[in-house]
Amino acid sequence: MTGTVSPAVAQVTAIEASLFVFVVLTALATAFARDVLAAVIVFGAYSLGMAALYTFYRAPDVAMTEAAISAGVTTVLLLLTLAKTTRIDHEAVFESVNYPAAGAAGLLFAGLAITMVDVPAVGSPDAPVWSNPDVTQWYLAETYAETGVENTVMAVLAAFRGFDTFGEAVVVFAAGIAALIVLRREVFA
Amino acid sequence: MSVVDATLGAGYTVGDFLLIVAAGFVVLAIGMLYRAVKGPTMQDRVLAVNVLGTNTVVILAILGAALSEPTFLDIALVYALLNFLMAIAISKFTVERGGVL
Repeated sequence: MTGTVSPAVAQVTAIEASLFVFVVLTALATAFARDVLAAVIVFGAYSLGMAALYTFYRAPDVAMTEAAISAGVTTVLLLLTLAKTTRIDHEAVFESVNYPAAGAAGLLFAGLAITMVDVPAVGSPDAPVWSNPDVTQWYLAETYAETGVENTVMAVLAAFRGFDTFGEAVVVFAAGIAALIVLRREVFA
Repeated sequence: MSVVDATLGAGYTVGDFLLIVAAGFVVLAIGMLYRAVKGPTMQDRVLAVNVLGTNTVVILAILGAALSEPTFLDIALVYALLNFLMAIAISKFTVERGGVL
């Protein structure tokens, strides 16, 4: 697949193209908005576009999460945080561009974009998961003997990459504490 | 064979037509984005994002019909509710600072 554009990239439909434009525009507006409250509001619009995109790609569960977390909870939490800090009124609508930061972000984007060429198409039989069944079969065959966990997905999460999951738990814990501080509560009740 | 598989002509089905209509609604959303970004007041932005949310509900409903996935309507419902919550939260924030919920 190296050097060729995968078929998934080639057949972009009208709705995908228009959603891409919408999502990129909202993301840029969020990044460049001078006023924090305006950025929060435009970020809500961004999550609307992302949810529609996820829905189009037949991922309704992800779209539902995007709707509940990004549009609902994040907006409210950001507003609560804003209420506890000062918001300066600005005349200008857009922030002036910080060129070193924009250059670093552009380089990161370019680096990630190079890897996209080698991503296998959706459902491709050449995808490493299928073309290298030894790895997948090893997990299916050896999971119980190695970890004593009956569910393979659970074993990967909690045993094979347990430290990774532990790190995630720390992040969720920190987020919970931050939410409590913003809400000025002692417990979730 | 459902309604969305019926042929309209020139090889296009009703489902294709609905997808093009949904794309048209997304193009409208890009137009609405102007008001959300430009403002100039916060009330303009709240209204713009509320209209964008309603527009998204319509897009999700059309997608559900076009792709024959009735479960998409559930996401549309969640969005309709959250859109309301978002508008209320931002409105309350602009009126009385600190009172978000």
